[in-house]
Amino acid sequence: MRPSPSPLAPLGLTCCLSFVALSPALAAADEEAQEDTSSVFVIRAAQVVVRPGEVLENTAILVRDGRIVRIAADLETPDGAVEVQGEVVCAGFIDPWSALGLDGSVLDDRSSDAATRTADGVDLFSNDHLRAEALRAGVTLARLQGGYRAAVGGLGAFVRLDPALDSASEAIVDDSAGLAMSLGLSLPGSMRFSRGSDGSLRMLSGDRAVDVFDRVEAVDRVAAAIETGRQYREREVEYRYELEEWQKAIDEKTLKLEKDFKKAKKSRKKDQDKAEDKGKEFKEKKYKEDKRPRAPKFNAERAELARVAAGETPLVVEVHRASEIRNLLEATKGFTRLRLVIAGASESLSVAAELAERSVPVIVWPSLSGTSRPDELSASDLSLAGNLAAEGVTVLLGSGGRDAAAARDLPLLAALAVGHGLDPELAFKALTSLSAETFDLADRLGSVEIGKDADLLVLDAMPFHPGASVRYVFSGGRLAITPEN
Amino acid sequence: MNQQLFPTLFGALVALSLASAASAQAGDSNIVIKAGKVITNAGETIENGTIVIQNGRITAVGQGIEYPWNAEVKEYPGSVAFPGFVEAHSSRGMDRANENIDVAAFLNVKDSIDPVSFYFEDALRAGVTTINVQQGDECVVGGMGYIVKPTGMTVEEMTVRPNSGLAMSATPKRGKSRATQAQSLREVFSGLQRYLEDTVGDKRQGLDHATREALYQGREADEETAKGRSMAGSTWKVDGLELIPRWEIDEKQAPLLKIVEGNQRMFVFCDSAQAVALALEVATDNGFLHRTSLVLEGTSWKAADMIAQRGVPVILSESLMYRERDPVSGEMIETFVPKVFQDKGVRFALRGGSTASKGLWYQAALCVGYGLTRDQALAATTTTSADLIGLGDRIGSLEVGKDGNVVIFSGDPLSVKSFVEFVVIEGELVYDRSNDTRVLHLDTGAQPENTAPHDPNADFKPHGKAEVPDDDGSDTDAGENEEEHEEDEESDADDKHDDDKENEDK
Repeated sequence: MRPSPSPLAPLGLTCCLSFVALSPALAAADEEAQEDTSSVFVIRAAQVVVRPGEVLENTAILVRDGRIVRIAADLETPDGAVEVQGEVVCAGFIDPWSALGLDGSVLDDRSSDAATRTADGVDLFSNDHLRAEALRAGVTLARLQGGYRAAVGGLGAFVRLDPALDSASEAIVDDSAGLAMSLGLSLPGSMRFSRGSDGSLRMLSGDRAVDVFDRVEAVDRVAAAIETGRQYREREVEYRYELEEWQKAIDEKTLKLEKDFKKAKKSRKKDQDKAEDKGKEFKEKKYKEDKRPRAPKFNAERAELARVAAGETPLVVEVHRASEIRNLLEATKGFTRLRLVIAGASESLSVAAELAERSVPVIVWPSLSGTSRPDELSASDLSLAGNLAAEGVTVLLGSGGRDAAAARDLPLLAALAVGHGLDPELAFKALTSLSAETFDLADRLGSVEIGKDADLLVLDAMPFHPGASVRYVFSGGRLAITPEN
Repeated sequence: MNQQLFPTLFGALVALSLASAASAQAGDSNIVIKAGKVITNAGETIENGTIVIQNGRITAVGQGIEYPWNAEVKEYPGSVAFPGFVEAHSSRGMDRANENIDVAAFLNVKDSIDPVSFYFEDALRAGVTTINVQQGDECVVGGMGYIVKPTGMTVEEMTVRPNSGLAMSATPKRGKSRATQAQSLREVFSGLQRYLEDTVGDKRQGLDHATREALYQGREADEETAKGRSMAGSTWKVDGLELIPRWEIDEKQAPLLKIVEGNQRMFVFCDSAQAVALALEVATDNGFLHRTSLVLEGTSWKAADMIAQRGVPVILSESLMYRERDPVSGEMIETFVPKVFQDKGVRFALRGGSTASKGLWYQAALCVGYGLTRDQALAATTTTSADLIGLGDRIGSLEVGKDGNVVIFSGDPLSVKSFVEFVVIEGELVYDRSNDTRVLHLDTGAQPENTAPHDPNADFKPHGKAEVPDDDGSDTDAGENEEEHEEDEESDADDKHDDDKENEDK
């Protein structure tokens, strides 16, 4: 993030101001709820980063009931509101790929399917200290993803990292934040032997690569899964249409039958008499009508895959090899509404052009510790984000979805990526608005705008500046971190 | 004189025979228990009290009260009479309980109960008079529970009340993660929902078709079709099911529908706070929260606030002390779980441990040791437990109208020095310590009748090949003796295992 205001700043300012002026309803609401002031805050800052590239100078933000209700330079502090001051205010950081707060059984789960919800595996009763650390570092929201070892890991979940939140309804912001799949990941380690160049036998341990033959069909399986989803949706739509048609026909028929009822009654009487005369048994006339179309059988997994195929839920695939990324892009070409996101993507640089062309976002995981997984060696390459961005690929930054403690380091990792060539504005964008947009949360989070959730950071300096420390953190309008706690 | 006497005598004889006939008809004779102290669990403790049990029910409790002349009087001047402990949720006393079929609402634990299980014998010895047996703590829906008394040779004889409630588990079973367990649990009820929608849809469809057919054929529609509700027997008291007679629901779905209908208790097993959150969510979403009790283990107590807020009672597992290390400071933190629930105003019952030495009396005594009052501890093992299994009006205290279940302790029921001398269940003496073969053997080394002496130094002899010093074919008895011994060892092993676990925790 450049410390100087971007040329767009004045525009942003006027936009916001005019919005305030046009919202008398909001202003009225301001005066109303005066009694509960514990949730009312005024944040004053020398610089407010409204969204990447837009900075307002000397501005105040009014937060009430969890939301940003006003942004103005001349804002007065309402009675009883808490005032917070700082140099820079920006949106809270979002980790789009994290394991913080996941129950161990869910992270390692291999029995998951497309309808498994990571939200059910979020443990809000432990790891509070890790959540507090991440929050202190400025990470207010994380997308958790269970079952990274499974071919289909299930639905991700966006979780607020405020340790004070103990109930899922408060903490979980979104429980279908992308469907996760994985392709050709290294398998968890087991002991094995290999013959060295001198012929001696060596024992190796650690993760091992997937067998080549097991990999062959993996991409096809992903495409086939999406296809079953597409067909499921198609059948559903077809059924609804058929049912409508049938209902229309039946309604018409019923009307006609009701109209002809007297006639039918008469004719029945006649037939009855006739039968009696002849001494025969009376038989009712046979009634026939078109059968009601049967509803397709419900399948929870396919219903989720249908949402993926229709682009209602993004598909996040963790894949590392260039060949597999390329094959995946090729195999999913036909699904025009699919919203593909690629995670990990160690060798994505060699397919950067294709990724850029298809505008597939990539979640990169810059890491200090590196990895020993044979197929993911360059996953933690610090320059990958910068290089991909230079090729025009949309880059997100995540903490890798394995290590719960890593979420805390996300701002640091972003700074390192900046040090290795990623444009600071893009890095800031990756941690805020881009994650929100990719996972359909942009209407609530990722920027400092009226009406959005008050997930805000108050810093000493611009984000990623070496001297920037986070002084206050607001999570959903609650002042969760202060310099004192 | 003879002529005068005869009618009187005859009359008396007739009256006597009538009286005995009446008592024979009712099934039980009258029994009166006099004890040095009567702990009623309902108000004051009575010194030198008398309990009158007629036809299996308590008809009077008090000091110096009158009782029928023909009652059998049992006097225990130095002992304490107590209502007997109630086990609200037991996973023992079964032979190969179902822990395999995930969703088994159609199973009844009645079929798994093993009347000759050592557990029941031991329950009497520990003063437990009523046990709710449940299976499927490791399933998704484990099946229907069954309430028994620990005496009798068949399940029918043991029955106190069938169908105590359905067991459900929010704890992931082996091979499942929390997320997939939650998925399965929700699927049980969304599956039921879809099944009902289909059933109702088909029914309505059939009726509409019948209406159109009648119109076409020129006749009046029949009554059921015309009125749009079932004429065949009683229907479900669930909105939207007015058309469906009770018997038309699939037997796999019916027990679940009873839960949704609010006619069935539900026991949800939880091993963690997360599982509690899930259990409460599923119970709330499907409308059976008010019929739910949570069976808790592990970190579940951390969700105590949530439980208190919903007003759900809980049944606490064997280990009442939770130990954990603070992840930051490394400090050891101990939490006494019953105290947490007591302080939050949550109704709780205790479960007996997996060994006889950690029976309900021990759990209650532990509570007193950690600061709960005596009344609170006793309620958690008697009256509250009875309430949670729907027998609050029948057992748990010595009051008029309740079942004649009385345990005679040699001293205070919560004292480690007291033991159970006699147990009366529904007015029948079912345990007498002076006839307890195992106790006699332990206490005095007395050799049980028809058994071969057991020599601990002897070499192990395979079953059926034991050398019998005396004759009269006591081969099989020797085998039984060995089995007995094995079981003792097993419980010892359990004890040890528990100790290990505790050490680990420390």
